[in-house]
Amino acid sequence: MIVDVHGHWGPWFFSTSVADAAVNLRVMDECGIDVQLVSAVEAVVYDPLPGNPALVPVLEAAGPRLRGLLVVDPRDLSLAESQLSSLLPTGLFVGAKIHTHYAGSPGGSAAMADALALLASYDLPVLVHTWGEEIVGLADVVAGVPGVRVVAAHFGGPAWPLVPDAAQRTDRLWFEPCWSTPAPGRIRWVLDRVGPERLMFGSDATLIHPAVTLGAIRAAELSAAEEELVMWRNAADVFRLPAPE
Amino acid sequence: MILDCDLLIGRDIATGARLDGDALAGALTGLGIGGGLVTSLRSLLFDAPSGNDEARSVAAAFGWQAAAGVDLRDPLTALDEVARAASLGVRAVRLAPDRQGVPATAPGLRAVARTAASAGLVLLVEGDVRVIGPALAGLGVTAVFVDAHFYHLGDFVLLARDEPGFHASTRLLGDVDGWEVVVASVGAERLVFGSRPGWFEAAAVVDRLAAAGLGASERALVVGGNLRRLLGVAA
Repeated sequence: MIVDVHGHWGPWFFSTSVADAAVNLRVMDECGIDVQLVSAVEAVVYDPLPGNPALVPVLEAAGPRLRGLLVVDPRDLSLAESQLSSLLPTGLFVGAKIHTHYAGSPGGSAAMADALALLASYDLPVLVHTWGEEIVGLADVVAGVPGVRVVAAHFGGPAWPLVPDAAQRTDRLWFEPCWSTPAPGRIRWVLDRVGPERLMFGSDATLIHPAVTLGAIRAAELSAAEEELVMWRNAADVFRLPAPE
Repeated sequence: MILDCDLLIGRDIATGARLDGDALAGALTGLGIGGGLVTSLRSLLFDAPSGNDEARSVAAAFGWQAAAGVDLRDPLTALDEVARAASLGVRAVRLAPDRQGVPATAPGLRAVARTAASAGLVLLVEGDVRVIGPALAGLGVTAVFVDAHFYHLGDFVLLARDEPGFHASTRLLGDVDGWEVVVASVGAERLVFGSRPGWFEAAAVVDRLAAAGLGASERALVVGGNLRRLLGVAA
């Protein structure tokens, strides 16, 4: 069983042809991924107003292997509230996504705190893009927002050695390792310091091929118990996904 | 076995990490990488002649090929080192302008590239392909861009269409269809396996290779045929 908590649907502005959800499903099949949580690229990089609802028919057509992450821009929480009210009842969304860069809202910002408080009120877990030292700031914000559950995407990118520091600040922050330029030994190093209960697999597909992060995880030589937690159980618990049959 | 165009030994001053030939050979174990083209960081960051001697020694010990590093902060010595490398039978030169704080516009860069091309040497080129690629265009060089990232894939393809000697390493082409785009756009002859083991999570590149939509002949070119062709060595 593999759950990928960091997926996207839709066209990218790079020289890649991955706009169709059939690409998500094909690559998931090739990599043995059972469920992928996806956000709409349009909502992440341009505008959640049309981007989030555009994902609805895609999720309806794809079935339970693709579950939605509703993109929230902390600068526009009125839109977020409106879309949470209208789109969560579809039952297609299992979490939210915040991109700190595209949304101009660093992990440690007041706007991030307000957004996380809103999402906590909906009991909705959040995948937050983290890059650099903002991963520690995000941890402090999470610690100050009661009940919120957050997954820090990318391990903070090049700031991955800060993951243990961030992990110590709150037990409601989990970590996801996808990165297009992975440093060697990074996943094992983090795993040994924060424990397998705090990591979960994410790929960043369809931007990055899942084989990249799966290869990095393979290099970390997970035990069977670690693999179960990292590859699906932690994600199933945090995003309240059904357990495998 | 896979050949890797992007092997490095020495000390990376950015991270403080060290990797000698024995450790690098150990890192290849289990990856299915049988060797490749090795450069010494000493040659790129401190002293090219002694670093290149180190790389040739390590290459000889493990049955690999050596690539000569040059320091573009001293282009006069770099030109001498290119000539020395050619005289010693070395078939490749590695350029690392970003590590050395040298802009792509530096005259020494093009002079070294032109001299290497005249000597029939292949260039391994670090840096943003959108910046360093145009600086090397029009010189008739044969080059492998070892930091070509899928973010810049379209620009690499445009460059490669005009420059028959331009190749991309696989290391940072980790998107869903980057390898396949290169093959479809400019041919499998232009894609060279590189993973920088010990310095990069090479298993990620190996697993991307396993997932690549390449035919058997295309795969054979990527994992070794192209590098052997560029270096003029037999299988």
